[in-house]
Amino acid sequence: MTLVQTEAGPGGAPAPGGRPRESFSAWFQRNRRRNLTFGRISFFLVFLGLPLAIYVLLVLNPFVQAVQISLTDWGGFDNEFNYVGFANYAQIFSNEAFLTALRNNILLVVVLPIVTLVLSLALASIVTVGGASHGEVKGLRGSSFYRVISFFPYVVPAIVIGLIWGMVYNPRGGLVNGFLTAIGLDAFGSFPWLGHPRTAMGATIFVIVWSMVGFYMVLFIAAIRGVDPSIFEAARLDGAGRFRTAVTITIPLIRDNVQTAWIYLGILALDAFVYMRALNPQGGPDRATWVMSQELFDTAFVANKWGLASAMGVVLALVTLAFAALVFLINRLTGAEKEGGYQ
Amino acid sequence: MSNPNFRRRDFLRGSLVAAAMVPFGGALASCASGGGGDEAAPETGGGEVTENNPFGVAEGSTVDAVIFKGGYGVDYVEFAAGVMGGVVGVTPKISASTAIATELQPRFAGGTPPDLIDNSGAQAIGFNTILDQLEDLTDVIDAPNYEGTTIRDTLYEGVLAPGTFGDKLAAINYVLTVYGVWYSSSLFEENGWSVPTTWDEALELGAQAKEQGKYLFCWGKQAATYYQTLAIESAIMQGGDEVRLALENLEPECWSKPAIQDVFAKLEQAVSAGYFAPGGAGTDFTVAQAQWSNEQLAILYPSGSWIENEMKSQTKDGFAMSGFPGLVVDPATAQMGDWLHSPAGEPFIVPSQSANPAGGKELLRAMLSKEAATKFAEEKLAPTVVRDTVPADGFGSTALQWQIEAVEAAAGKVFTYNFTTTYGMNQDQLVVWNSFLDGSIDAAQLTSDLQGITDAVREDDSIEKIEVS
Repeated sequence: MTLVQTEAGPGGAPAPGGRPRESFSAWFQRNRRRNLTFGRISFFLVFLGLPLAIYVLLVLNPFVQAVQISLTDWGGFDNEFNYVGFANYAQIFSNEAFLTALRNNILLVVVLPIVTLVLSLALASIVTVGGASHGEVKGLRGSSFYRVISFFPYVVPAIVIGLIWGMVYNPRGGLVNGFLTAIGLDAFGSFPWLGHPRTAMGATIFVIVWSMVGFYMVLFIAAIRGVDPSIFEAARLDGAGRFRTAVTITIPLIRDNVQTAWIYLGILALDAFVYMRALNPQGGPDRATWVMSQELFDTAFVANKWGLASAMGVVLALVTLAFAALVFLINRLTGAEKEGGYQ
Repeated sequence: MSNPNFRRRDFLRGSLVAAAMVPFGGALASCASGGGGDEAAPETGGGEVTENNPFGVAEGSTVDAVIFKGGYGVDYVEFAAGVMGGVVGVTPKISASTAIATELQPRFAGGTPPDLIDNSGAQAIGFNTILDQLEDLTDVIDAPNYEGTTIRDTLYEGVLAPGTFGDKLAAINYVLTVYGVWYSSSLFEENGWSVPTTWDEALELGAQAKEQGKYLFCWGKQAATYYQTLAIESAIMQGGDEVRLALENLEPECWSKPAIQDVFAKLEQAVSAGYFAPGGAGTDFTVAQAQWSNEQLAILYPSGSWIENEMKSQTKDGFAMSGFPGLVVDPATAQMGDWLHSPAGEPFIVPSQSANPAGGKELLRAMLSKEAATKFAEEKLAPTVVRDTVPADGFGSTALQWQIEAVEAAAGKVFTYNFTTTYGMNQDQLVVWNSFLDGSIDAAQLTSDLQGITDAVREDDSIEKIEVS
């Protein structure tokens, strides 16, 4: 656990071998004299050089190229292009469709992680420490059953989830409107949940949350299981209720996991391509659910403007990085360091 | 690890060294947009040019064809390849794709495109992007078919127009698509309804349908622009060729032409009178189409002739599918009231840079043979651009009967338009049309939004424009 730290941070105490810190060149010289055996070199080559070369070729190289292409007017189907400087970036930010998509992504990135995390934390607490208020600290009766049930949606591929929910939301004969009219709300007889500007995004977020809650619940259950049960017992002896325990004991102790989950969900929210494509391939009413990845896809493969599409990709990457940095910052500001919760 | 001196920190430092070295190892030398051959395509395929081998396909060569796998599948090209196999000794390699642009973009960029492509579907490659990389297919049209007649003389009139860009025949469209409004003639007979020819008659029919608890039209979210197609057809039939040219050439104020505005006004009436089945903006288009073909909740549906094949499994028994070409506002002043919107679809292209362009052309020639074209019409219940391949009974399909009737009645008076696909505008237009059919915007807003989309393309200098005349 995080409270037990055996190793000092970078630049801290001497390395395990007890050597003092030395300059890189000195280290290199010394090692060349002493340790440059065949076994050592071949080990470096196979376990370091090869993966690193693959990583640079297949991961870093496309990133660099995307930045390069974003500065051109490349059409994608030939080898002719001109460098146009930052014209593509200027065009992105005067493109109404892209700005709408950016706004939708920001809405998603704010709402989706919070809703999903609150729900999955609540469920995880209930099935681990929310059980009977006497005896051993444990979850609700039958909690393993609930765990399987709520994990189930995660097993289904996103595209299938999108198609299923597309039918559930179908205005005529869909489950939602069928249920609403059955309980007497006739106004919903043919209400287009995915086709009304006010409900399209909400309905879409519901689907994504539904598909993700189970996975993060399982993640948090594992994290809570890693906490010493005596802490929960102590809290209960001190008279803390279930809600108080969750907020002041559970969350601070698993904040690393919460932060990781938050970043994952944020990246999902900034992408969201599959769900959007399945539920509202044309972007929804008034582009209510149009996201950046869809605009990027269309710019590249329909409009054949690869330079512009690459610029969108770069912007999307920067927004994602900014989001991750923001989550780290918030975690620090809310006292992660103070409690030694993460390093 | 057997080496006791081998420590974790050393390992990590080693990785820093490796990281610093790798870029110089040439890993960065490759480039996605680099490479590709510049050599000009040979005039012939390297084989001897004979009467049976007009393009000089090399004996024993391979033809690499990538075919869009949509409503028509790919088996018809395989069949044609079998026909071709009897003529010259080439090996066909036919692959199916549902996303032509996505799949072939790297091959075009790398200079190794296939020999024959069916550039169709939602993800077709825009012609303005690849036009100068394509073979001129005039020599295919001027070659004899497998029965000995010059291919040009076996085709319906006007079918080469959609594939002609400037003076270059860059694509041969294989399937004849007939656009119109589709209905069940059996249902109409049962209810004593007559087929409308004007918008006023259609609105009247809408009122009659409403009495039966039915709607005049229905729509699905991905197909809202089918009503744009209907509106443009109606406006061209009413206002003549100048309407088509104004739209095609992205003229300012083109959507404000009186002929278009009159149709929009009629559509607005239909929307506000509740003649559209509600909820279309949230309905999947196949579900919406089944509301027409199976549930018969709506009685008319504007679409192309693929609709019969597309809804085959979801069409009510006894649904005698038929169609009519469009609706005019005022028959007395209609300029092109007897014309038909019937473009040839499924554009087949031959990239010049491919390994065996002559082989691509030969496969195309095989497809245009009477044998292969008849087989296509019979199996897909859709006519090809090759004339006289459909018997009078339409292989038992009422919809195919009507298509052949309509095409023969029009006798060359066919029009088409391409601007929405040429400039990839459909995505933006869908948003506007869903809002309009939903009743959340009126005809004036519809006009200005559509004009905005047209203007944006016209003003964007990075988009190559294709002049239409």
